[in-house]
Amino acid sequence: MYSKDEIHTRLARALVELFEIDPAKITPEAHLYQDLGIDSIDAIDLVLKLKEMTGRKIQPESFRHVRTVSDVVEAIHALGAPEVPAAP
Amino acid sequence: MRVSERLDVGLRTLATGLSFASFGLGGMLLSITLFPILKLLSRDVDTARRRIQLAMHYTFRVFVWEMKMLGLLSYEVVGRERLLQRGKLVVANHPSLIDVVFLIALMPEVDCIVKQALWRNPFTRGPVSWASYIPNSGSSERLIEEAASNLRMGRSLIIFPEGTRSVPGQPLSMQRGAARIAAAARANIVPVTILCEPATLTKAEPWYQVPRRRPNWKLVVGETLSANDYAPVNEPPSLVARRLTEFFLSYFTNSLAALGSKR
Repeated sequence: MYSKDEIHTRLARALVELFEIDPAKITPEAHLYQDLGIDSIDAIDLVLKLKEMTGRKIQPESFRHVRTVSDVVEAIHALGAPEVPAAP
Repeated sequence: MRVSERLDVGLRTLATGLSFASFGLGGMLLSITLFPILKLLSRDVDTARRRIQLAMHYTFRVFVWEMKMLGLLSYEVVGRERLLQRGKLVVANHPSLIDVVFLIALMPEVDCIVKQALWRNPFTRGPVSWASYIPNSGSSERLIEEAASNLRMGRSLIIFPEGTRSVPGQPLSMQRGAARIAAAARANIVPVTILCEPATLTKAEPWYQVPRRRPNWKLVVGETLSANDYAPVNEPPSLVARRLTEFFLSYFTNSLAALGSKR
């Protein structure tokens, strides 16, 4: 079971890798769309990346209400332990 | 204004009205005559689409010629040959209402992403559906996939990265959609810089506001950008789209400046 800090770190890494976002901007309160410029298509790419990262199937619906970085962390944390060993 | 200038503006305003009328009515007429006939004569959907798009191309050529003959505008095109290859994503800046008219007049067979409102407009509704243009509606995901799929089949596509007409006097602002489509299709990109001076038919004024002197459209087709250049194989599409969007911004800003744009 990953801690929220661990999830935040991995999420930040994914955000930098996928979107080249300035790491300094990736705070828990950062708004995905308004602060980080992540649009609806980016969200799809992000969900795919998170599936890889967590080793769990993620339903797009569980991300419907996600607005900030901490929302994402909460959503991933709520999924629980990975079903298969997750990719690093 | 001097009398002669006032007369010139008056005549051009009249001619502008005439042009808009012929555009609207012409489109409606074609939608109930030529386009359905072409469809009936074609053995499959794809042949029908190609013929109708070709008919649109000739119609727009005539329309541009009409506007020139009426003394409404002048125009020049540089590098037209680059537009004639298949499966290209034609990317242009968008200063005026008739940019797409020029582009289609230059390309015998091409798709277009068109704003949803044109499907509701009684004058444009017929032509855009007959020509199989793609409405900018519904989910972005669906739009990107449809556009990319057409490109992969060898069909060229016109798209304006700005998403809407440029605001005169403001720096250009690019949306990510065009780059997303390019990345998804791995299409080769043909950039076209459009300069309209004096600026007219812009977002900032009504269509009947005619400029003091006859406007000139200059379309400069730039060098083709290949997918290998802008989309390295290992780079995630989200990153490709961002880098490409930034590239469009600097490319068009610089090329407009080089053409002597006074924006």
